[in-house]
Amino acid sequence: MTPQKSYSLPSFMNSDSSLPWLLPLITMLIVFAIIPFFYNIYLSFHEFVPAKRALLFVGWDNWIRLFTDGVFWGSLKVSLYYTFMCLLIQLVLGMGIALLIDSDDPGFGIIRSILTLTLVIPPAIAGMIFLIMEDANYGLIPWLLKSIGLIGPEDTILADPTLALWGVMIVDIWQWTPFMVLILVAGLRSLPSEPFESAVIDGARPFQVFRRLTLPMLHKVIAVAVLIRGIDLWRMVDYVFVLTSGGPGTATYTLSLYSWQRFTFVQWGYGATISLFSLIIILIVGNAFIHFAKVKW
Amino acid sequence: MHLFILQRLNGKELNKVFKQVLGWLIAAIFFFPIYFWITVSIKKDKDIFALPPKLFDFEVSFSAYEEVFGISRFLYVEDMGAVRPGGGDFYMMPNLVDSIIIALGSTGLAMLISILAAYSLSRIPIRGQQHFMGWILSTRMMPPVAVAIPMFFIYKNIGLMDTHLGIIIIHALMNLPLAVLLMKSFFDDIPKDIDEAALLDGATRFFVFWRLIVPLAIGGIAATAVLCFIFSWTEFIFVLMLTQTGLKTIPVVSTSFVTSTGTAWDNMAALGTAAIIPAFIFILLVQRHLVRGLTLGSVKQ
Repeated sequence: MTPQKSYSLPSFMNSDSSLPWLLPLITMLIVFAIIPFFYNIYLSFHEFVPAKRALLFVGWDNWIRLFTDGVFWGSLKVSLYYTFMCLLIQLVLGMGIALLIDSDDPGFGIIRSILTLTLVIPPAIAGMIFLIMEDANYGLIPWLLKSIGLIGPEDTILADPTLALWGVMIVDIWQWTPFMVLILVAGLRSLPSEPFESAVIDGARPFQVFRRLTLPMLHKVIAVAVLIRGIDLWRMVDYVFVLTSGGPGTATYTLSLYSWQRFTFVQWGYGATISLFSLIIILIVGNAFIHFAKVKW
Repeated sequence: MHLFILQRLNGKELNKVFKQVLGWLIAAIFFFPIYFWITVSIKKDKDIFALPPKLFDFEVSFSAYEEVFGISRFLYVEDMGAVRPGGGDFYMMPNLVDSIIIALGSTGLAMLISILAAYSLSRIPIRGQQHFMGWILSTRMMPPVAVAIPMFFIYKNIGLMDTHLGIIIIHALMNLPLAVLLMKSFFDDIPKDIDEAALLDGATRFFVFWRLIVPLAIGGIAATAVLCFIFSWTEFIFVLMLTQTGLKTIPVVSTSFVTSTGTAWDNMAALGTAAIIPAFIFILLVQRHLVRGLTLGSVKQ
């Protein structure tokens, strides 16, 4: 009866079908996520040759170079160490703080609000904040460490091959521990109180309750927090860029920073190869984690 | 609440005062670097480099803000930048405008695409929905460098290099997984009966979506938009790699305050402070949905 019917779109473009709704998203993801992925693969088999001023096919050269390059293995080690250590510290510290501030007493709402603030600081600026605080001559942190005798009077943080990475990690821990805290607090608040009350009656000890009740019941929340934090730790480049630029020497190169640095040295193919390696690792590990930890969206 | 139960189990409750003190101490430790940064922006050089650090008793000066935001430029004709030894020009107003344009543009684009997609994913099941969602989530895993290197060549070829549009598109892409998954969780909260009743009455899908569901989800839409805005506002590596001259957002330009006489800490801190204060206000406004946002919609508060 409705005359408009004759002008309507074909059925798959009708708003009852999901295609028109998803089309903008799919287009965007294909153009800006699929194409770059294949372009990266293409680049990893090519390299810019300065003598000919052109991008030429070099076969497996970039991949062979990757696996024989000591700096690459070093940066892989730094990335793994950085991701794992930060994740562990943030999770343990975050859980401790969450257990403390998960309270309805007055004041704890404000404390939780204060903790959200670090999350919205641009990481590059967070790096800057710690760059001045860790400055070798005028920095607050070296001054504090020297006055309590943890480091010698001539020592520095960011110029020291062993301490530099911790100088970077402290920024990450400062900025993102509240991320863990807020998620874990939300998780703790959603727990039902009955199992805990019956544990009280059974006379269970607090640590037992925490291990046998709290942790298993928080499993999903912890898995999600670890997944998202782990992805971001692996991708991190802002802090090292600002604080050390990979130095001293190559002590704080992460995969992303090394890839970027090769790119700026016009080794486009090699830079793309490193970034592709980093991408493949996180896709495999990330999806395996989602599968085995049974994370669902 | 939870800790309280644990303590009662143990027969001894952690002292309330002790808990308050510890809680505030932790908040103070996390807030301290922010406070310190703000004081750097209003300190004079001699106080910035004082040891032991001057945390409260320093001379207050707003000259850094004046240079960065060119307040004097409206009053005098002279060029403030030329006065500074080292020859640095710290006038950053154009970069602030660039940052705002890019953050607003990319938020708008990401929201437009994600609201449509999220509604459909929430209401009209598709074959392989779980795999499709997994694909969206996988794009969240891509290291920015791995996207930026190929994008650099693509942008060079199609002329999007150094343009607002180019950065808006790449930031929207970066925010799409967050926006789609988060909006889906907000749409999932709205009962499907509303849609079905309206559809039975002869309304079209689009009418239901636009006139019934979107108004109901407006709080979630606002929270998602704020998060997209903040992530675009704070993004670093895409802007660094996909712009060459001119167009630089605040995080990128703030790493460039190095002159021949050293780093201009006060100016950098002034710009940094100006960049984080609006973000603080925004995030406190949507605090209720923050955890859901940070976990891409999977943990609800």
